[in-house]
Amino acid sequence: MEIGKGKIVLPATITKGEVIRVQAVVQHPMDTGFFRDANAEIIPPYFINAVTVTYGDVEVASFEWTSGVSRDPMIVFQLKAEREAPLTFTYRDNRGATYQTTVPVAFTTG
Amino acid sequence: MSADTRSNRRAFLQSVGLVGAALALEGWTGRTRPLSAWPAIGPDDPEIPNEQVAKVMKERFGDRPIQRGHVTLDMPAVAEDGRFVPVAIEADLPMSADEYVKGVYLIVDHNPDPLVMVLHFTATIGPVAVETRIKMRRTCWIRAICETSNGALWADYAKVETSLNGCG
Repeated sequence: MEIGKGKIVLPATITKGEVIRVQAVVQHPMDTGFFRDANAEIIPPYFINAVTVTYGDVEVASFEWTSGVSRDPMIVFQLKAEREAPLTFTYRDNRGATYQTTVPVAFTTG
Repeated sequence: MSADTRSNRRAFLQSVGLVGAALALEGWTGRTRPLSAWPAIGPDDPEIPNEQVAKVMKERFGDRPIQRGHVTLDMPAVAEDGRFVPVAIEADLPMSADEYVKGVYLIVDHNPDPLVMVLHFTATIGPVAVETRIKMRRTCWIRAICETSNGALWADYAKVETSLNGCG
């Protein structure tokens, strides 16, 4: 596992003004702190707790997450593709690390 | 009594019921809407099971009523693996600059931390069609609550059975 490695999937073709499905996944253990490892040691809590989504310069969504979100979190929502701009997910975990994934929202020509 | 009379009587009673429900809702929200836009109020909403859930609801929603309708929570009746339980939330609420869904709350009644996620949206987000995966400790009710920009709260509920504890 490469913690923080993410992917954003958009439709293959996008026209201006269309509502598009955005799917984002990111690799993270999302440990609750309630499980023990093979040596009976508690695995400490380690999870993404804040996500921001920016579209160009504008923050269009933010998420509060807990360790109740499954390992390697996946989230899908819809976005109004009003303009061509990068879509960026920034994840922050409870140890203070941040991870970013970006994809361009580009309109199909022709 | 002829079948015709019976159906007239039924139609009359249904319309009286709808008006009553609409008046009750109007009183809560102070807004008027076409009768057809109001869903029935669910008398069978799951009760608040513990103090943690009560605290979350109080902190996030205060005393505002949570009405059933406009939101669809789609989850398996039986989750085979409590570590990966699929969730789909849809809403037919407007997503315009004037009125939009600003918050989507997912509460799992018997999880150690019941408020599993909150999604804060703006008007640039399209109609609510959210998918994700969550963990569940044991069989319980799940609450999906959408908060609109004018403060209205709409919800749907699902009971999911699970045997494998996904939370530890």
